[in-house]
Amino acid sequence: MEKLRKVWWLIPVVLIILYPVTIGGKSAYWSGILVFAGIYVILAVGLDLLMGFTGQISVGHAAFFAVGAYTSAVLTVKYGFSPLLAMFAGMFLSGTLAWVIGRPVLALKEYYLAMATLAFNEIIITLIVGFENITGGASGLRDIPPFGIFGLVLDNPLHYYYFVWAVVLMIIASSVLIIRSPFGRTLVAIHSDELAASTFGVDCAKYKTRVFVLANVFASIAGSLFAHYMGFIAPDDFGVSTSVNILVMLFLGGIGTIYGPILGAIFLKLLPEITYLVQDYELLLNGVILIIVLVFMPKGIYGIFMTLRNKAFARAGK
Amino acid sequence: MGDISHLVQFFFSGLTTGSIYALIAVSLVIVYKVSQLICFSQGEFFIFGALIMVTLTSKGIPMPLAFVLSILIAMAIGALIQQVLIRPIQGSSIGALIVMTIAISLALRGLAMLIWGRESHILRPFTQGSPLQIFGATLQLQVFWIVGITAVILLLIWLFFEKTSLGIAMRACAENPLGASLMGISVQKTALFAWAWGSGIGALAGIAVAPLMFMQYTSGVMPMVKGFIAMSIGGLSSIVGSVIAGLLLGIIESYTIGVISSKFSDTIVFALLMVVLIARPNGLFSKS
Amino acid sequence: MKKMLAITTLFFVMFFLTTNVGLTQGTSKAAKEPYVIGGIFPLTGGLSWLGVYKKKGADLKVELINKAGGVNGHPLELISYDDQSSPEQAAKVAQRLISKDKAIAIIGTASVPVSGAVASLGNKYKIPVIIGSGYSVDPQKDKFIFNSAHKTDFACARPFQYFKSKGITKVALLMPIGSLGELGSNLARKYAPAYGITIIGEEKFDIKAPDVTSQLAKLRTLNPQAIFSFCTGEPAALVARNMSQMNMNIPLLVSHGNANPGFLKLVSNLTVPVIVPAGRAAAPEEVPDNDPCKKVVVEFSKAHMQKYGEPANYYSAEMVDAIDLIAAALKTTGSSDGEKLREAIEKTKGFVGMQGVYNFSPTDHHGTVLDDMMVLGIKDGKWKVLLK
Repeated sequence: MEKLRKVWWLIPVVLIILYPVTIGGKSAYWSGILVFAGIYVILAVGLDLLMGFTGQISVGHAAFFAVGAYTSAVLTVKYGFSPLLAMFAGMFLSGTLAWVIGRPVLALKEYYLAMATLAFNEIIITLIVGFENITGGASGLRDIPPFGIFGLVLDNPLHYYYFVWAVVLMIIASSVLIIRSPFGRTLVAIHSDELAASTFGVDCAKYKTRVFVLANVFASIAGSLFAHYMGFIAPDDFGVSTSVNILVMLFLGGIGTIYGPILGAIFLKLLPEITYLVQDYELLLNGVILIIVLVFMPKGIYGIFMTLRNKAFARAGK
Repeated sequence: MGDISHLVQFFFSGLTTGSIYALIAVSLVIVYKVSQLICFSQGEFFIFGALIMVTLTSKGIPMPLAFVLSILIAMAIGALIQQVLIRPIQGSSIGALIVMTIAISLALRGLAMLIWGRESHILRPFTQGSPLQIFGATLQLQVFWIVGITAVILLLIWLFFEKTSLGIAMRACAENPLGASLMGISVQKTALFAWAWGSGIGALAGIAVAPLMFMQYTSGVMPMVKGFIAMSIGGLSSIVGSVIAGLLLGIIESYTIGVISSKFSDTIVFALLMVVLIARPNGLFSKS
Repeated sequence: MKKMLAITTLFFVMFFLTTNVGLTQGTSKAAKEPYVIGGIFPLTGGLSWLGVYKKKGADLKVELINKAGGVNGHPLELISYDDQSSPEQAAKVAQRLISKDKAIAIIGTASVPVSGAVASLGNKYKIPVIIGSGYSVDPQKDKFIFNSAHKTDFACARPFQYFKSKGITKVALLMPIGSLGELGSNLARKYAPAYGITIIGEEKFDIKAPDVTSQLAKLRTLNPQAIFSFCTGEPAALVARNMSQMNMNIPLLVSHGNANPGFLKLVSNLTVPVIVPAGRAAAPEEVPDNDPCKKVVVEFSKAHMQKYGEPANYYSAEMVDAIDLIAAALKTTGSSDGEKLREAIEKTKGFVGMQGVYNFSPTDHHGTVLDDMMVLGIKDGKWKVLLK
């Protein structure tokens, strides 16, 4: 039993690996859906580190999603960079930018922090639209080459699926390790009581900025993966409504659990595959389903798992 | 350029948009003040008010009656939502509550699309008449209505919270829910009240503003975001502050468009917002 | 622990089931397999009002074709999805149409970014896509993409022709921030010299803004004779309304996307002369009798009026032509192979559609010409042809 507890995570990993080639039937369509799901898992996990564990609200997470996507796109399309190098450039740019604005912005609390992050998201979008000579403006940037790594071009959705999910799993693993590390425990301490933490000598600003940089570098990676998959990007997909969607994924799945947001991201990206059948009612239905989940599962989808697990343990007399 | 009409126009344009932002900000602040909740559904009450009014007037109901009915219907919807959806999850974290209001706004938007379709609707201005021309610049008459309604709301709110026992009790409730409940003030009733009145004022804002814009099911989003911005600048709990902030926001936007750059005006305004937030973390007009 | 395992497994089982148990849409019991055409329309989001026009037009056209016996004996099946006015969503539904619904061609997409996203997939999977937006098709790179909207250039050049005939030489631009504004601005500057027009100034505005009097006031100081604002729907109506309120009663040129009854309703009471470039669909009675397109236009308008109680418009015409072109290509090739269809469409010459007579070629994926556009004004709440 104890052994199973340690390696339970292997089950979803094996499922992820086997799914497309077995039941998924090598479908380009489902590979594509799951590529998007995976990209949003990265976004959600990064945001969870920032919001769930460190308690810093961000309604602008899509800003660095955009920075990563556009850096990758512009460098590969206009300057012939290799996708891998462009992605690293995006990560570096995002990290630097996050570090620069992180300090002053993270000093804000709650609602004001939310508004500042929202404002920053909007600023990035307006700059992308404004500098149309570089970014293609509101009309978008086309002809982004598919991701290529070590000479292998990932043109096929199925191949890209494996690549993306490999990255996703690495990010999940890193996040889990971070949470269990002293760094992670400090973040949680800051979340519960920042004042108390600082009286213990913790440089809260430093830790908050670091996790902010980390979360946004993850978002940047997601952006690069997105750009190379779409082949075409436009500012519409990186606005505040996208940031709000990611936020919803967090709460839907169960904030502050890493696994919760993963479930939330997958759920929200798969939901349209059911609701599209009732076209006119889709918008209403999405809202209603969200409401139902929030009312009946206030701790998110992951919360249900936890409750059931605890019940199981209680029954087993542990 | 000898005549200053365009400079005056910038001011009038700013006053027009600013008055819209101010009125919406007021509805947001009222909900927050009483229930500590940032309500993302306000944008939808905004359009519901306007669209219900459009439907009622198109059926021949006279404007004043339609006005009152629309607000009452919106209040009823707000109260219903609070009882059925908010109350059960009252104990959840702030984040969960906010996400619930987001979910509600999606559902309401979907409902609006089903009821009123996807086209744009027009609402007649409250008073017919050509716009005012001063110094060669134009100011629409409806703006006076918006400013007037905002002023009346401010006065009524002030009277309510300062002079009536119920109002004082609600303020106490917001500041210290446990203490207030120990004193016999019903936290439940207060929350219900906040939602009902918040949605009512949101609907009122929508009706007042609709003649200046076109209304369809997605029209609630932008005004709400601007309302939130005004609220952050003015301070979350300051009603007067949010009004001033809303007007300022409109005017600054307008002059930035007119004098600096219409292409990057949004960039500049949002950058200014970030600066204000960082420099005065509790809003320009808060007490701290 | 066992329970948690059970739940996890259940979750994944459900996941597999939803992805594989056929929740297919629209099964047809016809004798022959239907040709599936995919439709991508903005049915929610900012552009939903025009997505509805497109879908209605497309639905009716497919209905009419099937009533007449289909194509090569096969019925046509139109499977439409909502792109939510988002390129990401459009990419997803395009993938769904291509991989799951096995669409042989795709029509629709109403905005430049959305068209771009779908074009990317059309080129990749070698499925012909006939779009209807301002997206500029590069026949070299977009081999599989065609456009049944008139070349956006015409929507600028034709009205400029009209301006020239009226002695208007100083035009100011009030462009929306967004792809249409970028297009409009570039086109205006490109075509102005050819018609003796000078672009004296440009301002931008946010399409969600409730007021543009500031920008108008600024432009007014330059004494323009006309304003060109390449936007569609509410923003265009707002500019018109603000101009009327400011007594700026000079011609306002807007986009051809406004050639629909909804827009007419929004601006008919205003004093500003609004100029709208359009296709023949907007005013079927005004099309000359010797015009080869007259019959097609009049017939479809009648059918549209009968079914929906409103006249056909620019968007319906786009979709009708798109479907007709695909049907014609299917007849020519007798097969639904993407490459063959593409070739057939590209070789199409002298095809009589609602928007004009199409002549495609490896360098021209629009097919229509400048004179296929009319210039409309508004009088007494109705369209009035100013230049045909």
